[in-house]
Amino acid sequence: MSGVTPLFDAIWDDYMFWSILVGAFSFGWLYHHTYYYRAKEGESPNIDNLEVGVFPKEYDNFKLEVTWTVLPFILIVWLTYISWAPLDAVWSQTGPDGYHGSVCEDGQSSNNFIDASGYVRSECYHEIGIEGQQWFWEFDCYGLSEELCATDYATVEGELKPHLILKAGETYLAEMTSIDVTHAVKNTEFGMMEDVVPGQTAYLWMPAVEDTSFLMLCAEYCGDNHAYMVAQITVE
Amino acid sequence: MSGDYHGDNHPSPWGPHDWGHGAPHNSYAPLVMSIGVGIFLLTFGGLFNFGEFDMWYLPLVMVGLAVTGIGLFVWWRQDMSFDASYEPIATGTPFKHIQVRKVGMWVFLMSEMMIFSSLFSTYMRYRQGIPRCDTVFERGMFDPVLNPDGWQEGVAVTCFEPASHLIASSWFHLAPGAINTFALIVSSFTIVQALRWAHKPVGSVDEEVRRKRIYRYLGATTLLATLFLTLKIVEWFVGFPLPEFLHEYNHGHSSIKSLYAEHYLITNDHYTHHSYIDEATGAHMVANIRVSATLFYVTTGTHGLHVLIGIIGLAYLTFKAWTGAYNPQSAVSIEYFGLYWHFVDLVWVLVFPFFYLY
Amino acid sequence: MNNSTSRRLALLAILAIAMVVVPAVTSLPAGIAGVKDSGCNCHGTEADSSVTASITGLPETYNASETYAVTVSFSGGPSTDGNMNLGGFNLWASDGTFSTVDDSTQLWGPSEASHTESGNDQRSWTVDWTAPESGANVNFILHVNSVNGNEGNGGSSGDMWNRADVTVLGFGDAPLPEVDPFKVLATLVVISGVMLSIVVLYIFYRKNPDSFDWENFSPWISEWLTSTDHKKIGTLYFVQGLFFLGVGGIMALMIRMQLAVPGNDFISQDYYNQFFTLHGTTMIFLAAMPLINGFANWMVPLQIGAPDLAFPRLNAMSFWLQPVAALLIFTGVFSGQGADTGWTGYAPYVVTETTHSGVSMWAAGQLMLVASSTLTGINFLTTMAVMRAPGMGWFQMPLFTWSILVANLMLFLSIPAFGVGLIQVYLDRTIGTAFYDVASGGDPLLWSHLFWYFGHPEVYVVIVPAFGVISEVIATSARRSIFGYKSMVYAMAGIGLVSFIVYGHHMFTSGMSPTLRFITMLTTMLVAVPTGIKIFNWLKTMHGGSLVYRTHTLWTLGFLVTFTLGGISGMFFPSMGMDVHLHETYFVVAHFHYVLVGGTVFGFFAAIYYWYPKMTGRMLDERLGVLHFLTAFISYNALFWPMHRLGVVGMIRRTHTYYITTDDFNALPEWAADWNMLISMSAFLFFASNLIMVYNMIKSLIRGDKAPADPWGGWSFEWMTASPPPTPSFDPHNLPELKDANEHVANEPGIFGQIFRRLMVSDDAAEEESH
Repeated sequence: MSGVTPLFDAIWDDYMFWSILVGAFSFGWLYHHTYYYRAKEGESPNIDNLEVGVFPKEYDNFKLEVTWTVLPFILIVWLTYISWAPLDAVWSQTGPDGYHGSVCEDGQSSNNFIDASGYVRSECYHEIGIEGQQWFWEFDCYGLSEELCATDYATVEGELKPHLILKAGETYLAEMTSIDVTHAVKNTEFGMMEDVVPGQTAYLWMPAVEDTSFLMLCAEYCGDNHAYMVAQITVE
Repeated sequence: MSGDYHGDNHPSPWGPHDWGHGAPHNSYAPLVMSIGVGIFLLTFGGLFNFGEFDMWYLPLVMVGLAVTGIGLFVWWRQDMSFDASYEPIATGTPFKHIQVRKVGMWVFLMSEMMIFSSLFSTYMRYRQGIPRCDTVFERGMFDPVLNPDGWQEGVAVTCFEPASHLIASSWFHLAPGAINTFALIVSSFTIVQALRWAHKPVGSVDEEVRRKRIYRYLGATTLLATLFLTLKIVEWFVGFPLPEFLHEYNHGHSSIKSLYAEHYLITNDHYTHHSYIDEATGAHMVANIRVSATLFYVTTGTHGLHVLIGIIGLAYLTFKAWTGAYNPQSAVSIEYFGLYWHFVDLVWVLVFPFFYLY
Repeated sequence: MNNSTSRRLALLAILAIAMVVVPAVTSLPAGIAGVKDSGCNCHGTEADSSVTASITGLPETYNASETYAVTVSFSGGPSTDGNMNLGGFNLWASDGTFSTVDDSTQLWGPSEASHTESGNDQRSWTVDWTAPESGANVNFILHVNSVNGNEGNGGSSGDMWNRADVTVLGFGDAPLPEVDPFKVLATLVVISGVMLSIVVLYIFYRKNPDSFDWENFSPWISEWLTSTDHKKIGTLYFVQGLFFLGVGGIMALMIRMQLAVPGNDFISQDYYNQFFTLHGTTMIFLAAMPLINGFANWMVPLQIGAPDLAFPRLNAMSFWLQPVAALLIFTGVFSGQGADTGWTGYAPYVVTETTHSGVSMWAAGQLMLVASSTLTGINFLTTMAVMRAPGMGWFQMPLFTWSILVANLMLFLSIPAFGVGLIQVYLDRTIGTAFYDVASGGDPLLWSHLFWYFGHPEVYVVIVPAFGVISEVIATSARRSIFGYKSMVYAMAGIGLVSFIVYGHHMFTSGMSPTLRFITMLTTMLVAVPTGIKIFNWLKTMHGGSLVYRTHTLWTLGFLVTFTLGGISGMFFPSMGMDVHLHETYFVVAHFHYVLVGGTVFGFFAAIYYWYPKMTGRMLDERLGVLHFLTAFISYNALFWPMHRLGVVGMIRRTHTYYITTDDFNALPEWAADWNMLISMSAFLFFASNLIMVYNMIKSLIRGDKAPADPWGGWSFEWMTASPPPTPSFDPHNLPELKDANEHVANEPGIFGQIFRRLMVSDDAAEEESH
């Protein structure tokens, strides 16, 4: 339904299913009671004999209350469980245990693909650098060949913005730093973002699977021209 | 704007909390104090701007403090006649029969505890996260993120230089802090003594003796607290000379320099300590100690501010004791202030080892 | 010195600071951009006087719409013939339009020109400038960059730059003034203030038209200024809360006007950033919290049968800190330098000098609010612990009082951390400490921890009292006792507990350790359990009831709808595979507006309609109330529902504009522009619909029907007093006693109570009690 990344879509659909179920249950109940138990014309019953200054008669049902404590709890555990696996994929470690192997040798290709569960898997990855500053992004190909990674400038709504050109089928690990304040890289079509905190190095996977071209945005408010701190990323 | 305003409908006598006697007690004090604090915070932001000092705002800052003081005066003027004869008492369990103010005081201390916890969290984060200067320089263990290139001549290295490295290096340097610790602990004792005298049942002691004992003990507490702040100023800004026979125990130096004179400053990003010398070149190594100095001054300063507020409160209590206002019935006021004062003492007992010894 | 001159001077000062502070390392061989605002991003770090920039071809006074050929050039610096490149320039004009004459120059917008890649080998360039029609003076800012062309295109060592400013006089007598959004806002604030005073005067007049003079007005107004009565202070909170709800709303409208179409320039990003910052701060701290405190002040003593709060004067102090704090927070607005950090004020941006000077006062004002909240916490926690009427145990307190207890406990334990964080920021910005100075080893994430340790409990602090209101209203309206009173209390306490261990989800993308990510994910999801219990209990309360439809009933049912939706959308964030995409998007904006507006604000609208008769002794107009509900509920959903969809397709928060997909790149789909327009229009409708309520309140105050003591048939103590209640609210010597329709003794202390007693009750008092 959403069409961001296969991984996102898979979780999204699961969550939408449960949301609609819970929503339909609650709203069905709500609408039924608001209609069925409305006060009838001319009636004003005082069902539990509410009286000023008297703590009202207790109205509870232990079994029911336990039911709607336990059932949501089980649902929560289930939702946590299905959200657990993607953790490893989103912040995959490097090396043979990770989803993207180790750094590529010269001339080696990632050959990445999306598996049945929506995870991107690759044989190896390439390292690139992203540096944020008020209010530009700067890309560094770390000496990768022109074919794998190239930078130039593109015009976005009349303004010149940095442009990163990546190769489809390759997976990149961006090493990100900031020289002034906190920024955040948001790659909409990769379905990911990560903060870039000054004084620290952050890492973000950029699995370029299909041909596309999109805007990389700054998602952490960083000052005056925050909204215009964009760059274009092209996968071809 | 005087304190003795009486609402038309409420010809109530002086005294706080007197809803117990039928009418709310109006006061300009909250409004005046809020405005004073507002003026202070506003103009203080002009007095200092990113470390730059602008003299022109000083009178305005004074105005802010003065207005706050007026508000405080109004508040106290209204409190003077309070003799605890209608001290409100709890009606709900589990505090039934406890005075309401006592519960309030404990609740207040809960938030004070959170304030100092947050300051200590900040301290722990930086103390843990930034390597100590002596480790860095003596063993060459440079933090890969903070100082990736290691040391180069003239370039400051970011590292943690605890104030204790200076202070605890000599007994004389430590003396003000040590005396302060002692002073605070004794002041906790004197205030308990004041309370003890206030508590003595009527008839068992001469009222004039009671009055004198209470205000003298409270006065002693005030003096000890003042001593604390004075020594703090000596330690931070003034320093002190040593008698001649002690010079040899102080590496031959004739005086103890203040932290200011030692350039242990929040603005100092080129700090040199006599022991940091590069063996290869003989050059002094320089360190950026702004974070360490910041932590030291702000944490001990926050505690010092609590002592200052305590002094203001104590001065008032002493004055009220001098007028003979305290007796077994109204002794609770001393008790509740004592709770605060013990807390301030307790915090110092934590601050002292973390910032002066370790 | 008039306003625009001082503003310009301030701008120049900032520019000068920025030029020194902002390290200029980006080398753009194909042109220099953004120089005017951000300092030169040319090569070299500082302006160098050995480079001389000049502009020729400009007249002293221009003629309307005439085109001039402008030649810019420079001399000096490392630029010598034979270098690979010679230099570049950036020329900015405050008015008029540039056009290129050859391929050595290019335009970045109508008022900014620069060299092209092929123009990088010259020291002199020519562009055409067409003068504007306005006749206003035009400023030109020229930056030139003298380069030595070493190390190929990217190298920048040894390059130098400088700038020149030229002003061309207009033919008109006076420059046409631009509309300054801040003046609009300030005017609106002043107008609202004047209107408020008129309303105050009018109310005073209505009280007794014969005594409308200063002798009578002076004691009346000073009664309000000095009162320590919980009801008067509650009303003051209430007036403040509604006033700032309006101010925050106007700022939201400004934001929505800007975002109505993509690429809009209704307000500049400078103003936009200040508006969203102040919108957040105002709505949370100056609108929602005072509204809560207003009701808490009014209702808590009444509900527990106490004559007043435990510390009436401290209560007055809590209130009066607030308007002064509001003034401090808004000082930046009056000087055109409002806070522009976002309400979260992330470090290290919040302590850099590129922020506006108003940020210091923004921190100072919030510091006063922290003090206010702390005093409020002391007061309410003590009151509820010690001043319950005889017969009222902990588990017989009305649920609204319980909710205030839980909220204050959460706030009280979390806000000192925020206070310390603010002190750190304030000191960093004033005396120059280095808490968040990255170069000195400061850690920006420390602020995030201190802030969110407070910030997350805070959002529950504003929603939990609304739960209390809903519990009261739904039981009374359904003519039943609330279903599962105890599980309601435990659920609120559960929310209070969990609130302290979930804040990590605000930092999912800040490089958290994997273990903590998982723990936070689970704890965050857990919040849904107690919230679910509450929703199901409310629904079950209606079962077998007889729901009386009043305006407050409608708002309560509206709350159930919107809050359930907001709760469900909240479940999407802890799931991290989704959160990395949804973080900082409009999905978040939609979610928290669904819970904060659809939850808190709707809850308090219900509270207004429910308790207004008690507070004023006048009934509200039901017909206007229903009209308010219908218009507001519909426009509210049209306003915030589409934001979910926008967030999923990637529209991010806090941006001045948004990008629509073009042939070159993918961004937001084209329909996003239409949806934004819909949202903006709904925002105006929502704002306008709430004016109905304000009108209703004023109208009813003057000529509403007289209210009986218990118009809705509630059970708690507040309905026992007259409408409006007397002062003191209950006679301290003759407190009411709560009876219980159930058979159990509830007034004995439990195990913790006994420990407390042993700790705190002196032996004398205990003995006295036993007799």
